[in-house]
Amino acid sequence: MQLNILTILWVYLKCLMKTIVDSQKANVLNLTEIFRFKDLLWNLAMRDVLVRYKQTIMGVLWAIVRPLVNIIIFGLLSQFIEHSTNVADKLVTVSAGVIIWGLISTSISDISNSILNNSNILTKVYFPKLIIPLSSLAVCLIDFAISFVILLIVKIAFVGMPSVAFFLFPLFVLYALVFSFSIGLFFATLNVKFRDIKFIIPFLLQVGFYVCPVFLSTQFYLDKLPEVLKPVFLSNPLVSIIDGFKYCLIGAEFLVPQVYFISGIVITLLLLFFSLRYFVKFEKTFADYI
Amino acid sequence: MNCIIKVENLGKKYQLNHLLSRSKDDMFFSSVKNKAKSFLKGKQVAEEFWAIRDVSFEIQKGDRVGIIGRNGAGKSTLLKMLSRIVAPTTGRIEYNGRMASLLEVGTGFHGDLTGRENIYLNGSILGMRKHEIDARFDEIVDFSEIEKFLDTPVKRYSSGMYVRLAFAVAAHLDPEILVVDEVLAVGDAAFQKKCLGKMQDVSAKDGRTILFVSHNMPSLTNLCNKGIVLKNGTIHQPLCNINDAVRSYVDLAESIEYQEIAARTDRQGEGKIKLTNCTVLNSENKKVNICVTGEKVILKLDYESLDFKNLDNITFAISINGSDGTFYSLIGNEFSGNPFQGLPSSGAVYCIINKWPITSGRYGLNIAINQNGFMQDWIKDAVFIDVEDGDYYGTGRLVPGTHRCVLMENTWKENL
Repeated sequence: MQLNILTILWVYLKCLMKTIVDSQKANVLNLTEIFRFKDLLWNLAMRDVLVRYKQTIMGVLWAIVRPLVNIIIFGLLSQFIEHSTNVADKLVTVSAGVIIWGLISTSISDISNSILNNSNILTKVYFPKLIIPLSSLAVCLIDFAISFVILLIVKIAFVGMPSVAFFLFPLFVLYALVFSFSIGLFFATLNVKFRDIKFIIPFLLQVGFYVCPVFLSTQFYLDKLPEVLKPVFLSNPLVSIIDGFKYCLIGAEFLVPQVYFISGIVITLLLLFFSLRYFVKFEKTFADYI
Repeated sequence: MNCIIKVENLGKKYQLNHLLSRSKDDMFFSSVKNKAKSFLKGKQVAEEFWAIRDVSFEIQKGDRVGIIGRNGAGKSTLLKMLSRIVAPTTGRIEYNGRMASLLEVGTGFHGDLTGRENIYLNGSILGMRKHEIDARFDEIVDFSEIEKFLDTPVKRYSSGMYVRLAFAVAAHLDPEILVVDEVLAVGDAAFQKKCLGKMQDVSAKDGRTILFVSHNMPSLTNLCNKGIVLKNGTIHQPLCNINDAVRSYVDLAESIEYQEIAARTDRQGEGKIKLTNCTVLNSENKKVNICVTGEKVILKLDYESLDFKNLDNITFAISINGSDGTFYSLIGNEFSGNPFQGLPSSGAVYCIINKWPITSGRYGLNIAINQNGFMQDWIKDAVFIDVEDGDYYGTGRLVPGTHRCVLMENTWKENL
């Protein structure tokens, strides 16, 4: 009896080890396989982080300089455009906007180029291709974590201790990650066949910077936009993300109506679903086109 | 039950014009041109090319299989499909256990990272878990012999150190199936031997299955016990004993057409002086197709220079190789002490071999022309010499035909 169970177990284990490549069958998303390659994900991310600051004198300090300069520039600019008397609040809001936008824009552009940048590995070794965009996302998250610490220091120094709403911020970061991952993944797949994508991305991001409330407040956009364009503006998931993140940090009013907030989440999940499907469908042809 | 890899009707199709337009710089124009063409003709102009077609075989557990074939026979495509890098157009592959593929030395190595960091990165790319790398780390470092430079960025490594480190990681992979492309072609001979030894070791001890592609017949026969010969994407010789496979490949290689030297473009060197012809003459200065061991052979090398000046400091060198790639000898006027000064800008030189020393077979001559130490021209297999066994020692006795070898003058005595 005992032997029987062992045999069944053994046969089951053998089945698990079996790999079948069939030209007739379509690819499916295999999460267990991705989990099996988690060390690779981590190592690729570490490579990108380590390589970036090798042979620099300031090292990781550069991760702080870029957002800091952006905060100063756009803080001043925003003060010119919509004057506010509460300078401390303003500083934190602008910082929050700039930093979350930094996460979104770098992850979209890094993920879009990630497959091409790693073509030397893709054409030599097999692993689930989704590891590569995921590792790019991890790198962006690490960068974000560093600038978030600065944001937190600024916030505590100028405005005071965080409120309860503050602890909602991981949700908005997650939202941002899912959204930029979906967009980036779609472009990464397209990028393999059509290199035009690498020209389009910076352009799209530049447009995005101005149509989203990055350094100006959502109220400003709502005031200035014509009535017809308001629903378009509000249904952009990025508006919910950025406004929500600002809300968590400063406790200001969350201006996106519930309907738009929920529809934004639905849009994002649909985007994620479709770009994952698109990616999984085409990942097996990557090595032929790169 | 022992079958570890099963391949059925495997095929891979590429579309040629598609690939061509991709490699061009003016992709926009070529794609517009294609669009216009397909619009005018009413269909897409696409040429199909099957890199691999209808390949089926089964490999038993513990087999070490050599995949042999000329360039373009589809070996690499087959390996890439087996290791799941490219997807097959038709057919099916089934295998049991973990598979690791080694199509390149040091895949994913990053020049800015240190040796230590690269071991972890490369190991995980090749499919090792972190704890596996941790467990074998010391072994890997020992094997690579670069302990002192472990924390130096690999871009500062010599190419030998780089290759050694990369191999060391690969040699400590522990999959059930190992797929190896011609990676062993790089690295110095001693280290190559060490790697082959390591692979043989593991294969014999743990019954690991190996698929190995190489042009080097000696290392194939050393490492593998079975072989498959591919020709133009199909199986020329199904899975069989490695020696039979090598023989079948050599027969195949010898049947290729011979190309005029003057028309060849696959040359290396600066090209100011070029070899235009090479003929084999016998002792009566007559052109021959076959020469005989022990007899006088004269090689006439015709050359041509771009300058009209007389040529100084020119050296000619010929290396003699067996059809399986075994290197037999290197001869040159520089080594034999016959320098050439003031040669006419085009003409011929003669290399006289008094007693041809190698036994029967077909030998390819690689010919090089150097001037002042710079390589001007180099042609692989510029000419083939067919040799028949002859009476080298003048005794009427021949060395057994099973021994393809170089003969030496020798005498035997009871006392000195």
